[in-house]
Amino acid sequence: MTSSSSHDDATSEELSALAHQHGLRPLGLRPRFGEYIRQIIERRSFLWHLARAKSASRHQNNYLGQLWLILNPLLLAGVYYLVFGIMLGTNRGVENFVGFLVVGIFIYVFIANTLTSAGDSILGNLPLIRALQFPRAVLPLQVVLSEAIILMPALGVMLVITAGSGEVPTWSWLLVLLALVITVLFNAGISFIAARAIQATRDLKNLLPLIVRLMRYVSGVFFLITSYGDSIPRAIALTLEYQPIAVYLTMFRSALLEEFAVDWTLWAVGLGWAMLFFTVGLIVFWRAEDRYGRD
Amino acid sequence: MAVTSDSRKPALIADNVHVVYRVFGGRKKAYRGAESRFRDAVEGAKKTRSAVTEIHAVRGISLVAHHGESIGIVGRNGAGKSTLLRALAGLIPPSQGHVHVDAQPSLLGVSAALMPSMTGEKNIMLGCLAMGLSLDEARERFDEIVEFSGIGEFVYLPMTAYSSGMQARLRFAISAAIVPDILMVDEALATGDRAFRAKSKEKFDEIREKAGTVFLVSHNPGSIEEHCDRAIWIDKGKIIADGTATDVMKEYTQAE
Repeated sequence: MTSSSSHDDATSEELSALAHQHGLRPLGLRPRFGEYIRQIIERRSFLWHLARAKSASRHQNNYLGQLWLILNPLLLAGVYYLVFGIMLGTNRGVENFVGFLVVGIFIYVFIANTLTSAGDSILGNLPLIRALQFPRAVLPLQVVLSEAIILMPALGVMLVITAGSGEVPTWSWLLVLLALVITVLFNAGISFIAARAIQATRDLKNLLPLIVRLMRYVSGVFFLITSYGDSIPRAIALTLEYQPIAVYLTMFRSALLEEFAVDWTLWAVGLGWAMLFFTVGLIVFWRAEDRYGRD
Repeated sequence: MAVTSDSRKPALIADNVHVVYRVFGGRKKAYRGAESRFRDAVEGAKKTRSAVTEIHAVRGISLVAHHGESIGIVGRNGAGKSTLLRALAGLIPPSQGHVHVDAQPSLLGVSAALMPSMTGEKNIMLGCLAMGLSLDEARERFDEIVEFSGIGEFVYLPMTAYSSGMQARLRFAISAAIVPDILMVDEALATGDRAFRAKSKEKFDEIREKAGTVFLVSHNPGSIEEHCDRAIWIDKGKIIADGTATDVMKEYTQAE
């Protein structure tokens, strides 16, 4: 016996007609862009709690725990000071090299860590994706937020070291908050792009460390880009100076270090990059919303 | 045509749904007896690339589920039951075909994997928020969920410290916190000890009364006949039989 049922022989057309007739909506289709943004805003408490929980569980497996969030960049700054400040002497053109280096490294590590973990935000959370229905943009956004939460203690240490290196706190230090907001916006943009790209072609994940290293060497983390301005073609010098990561490092430095004046053109460029990356990233990510979780 | 003459309102329509997913790190191989050395050498060379296998888990399934129906999905291990359920719930995008629904289905099950490194407490909050509850609603249901799962003070320890039974009970309790219009249950009723099974059956019936439509995946024929009025038998990703639970289960147990 082959069992009989009312729809065994229904064709695709009949099924869609039936769905249409009773007002059924297709499931798992990509929502319209505006609707998608509304859904993300609706899940903001999920986003916030997930980010907090993830950042808190980061170092729960070792004895010093959260202390590593400060120790890591601090030790890194020590290494860079030894290699680039003392041995190679890349400190030309910078008076307060300690402050310069610490700000550069802490902020660069913040951006790089966000990018690295965002790359894994879809593939690393497949069980969650396959169990619950929510806008997937929450996953890269959660990485951005939890990295920002993790940055807070390190940021405190950064301010203390900067003050200790001979800088006198002024009102311009408050600009750090603005720089932070702009950088977080940029981080969200690159996180969307990385998550989407690695979901599409997971082999790209192997290139991420390479990109992170390349950007570390060209973004002026431990040397002043403008001090090399005369020896390289102008177009390249401008590119190096105005690419987003270099801009963000300069923004933080101009807020904290007296020798760097706040250049509002540069801040405008930084905000422009952030908005561009965020918008393009969100659209790129949203366009594959109906594909996350397939493999 | 029967489809249009049926007066009941459909709750979910699956239209020729296919699910293909890729698996990394292994390759299906046909079992072969003796083979030539040359072929072995070629196979060996191919292995330097990472192995990717495409698994066609669901192959063209169409069905109409109505309000008030409870549908059991049976089949052997690996028949595509759970994958089909996830596709019907909108959690795995079909590679071909469509699913139409009149409400967001909710998958209730032991598989609602959360964050094993975090405490039960955090998992409850995150699970509730992810399902779309507000923060207040999640807080409201917290005690109820802990109570229902019966894990007691373990709720403040990371889930890695839980026994597998406790983990499953907590997941079930979290996903049972909301009452959806279309409910999908994956093997969950077989979880835990007798007392927990009784509790979960109660919950299941409660949800079934309120919900329009229930899907239940199981390879235990008894639980399908007990809970469902319609059954669909799936093998190798295709529907073998679809009819009343009694008929289909009779056919299924005879074939096994």
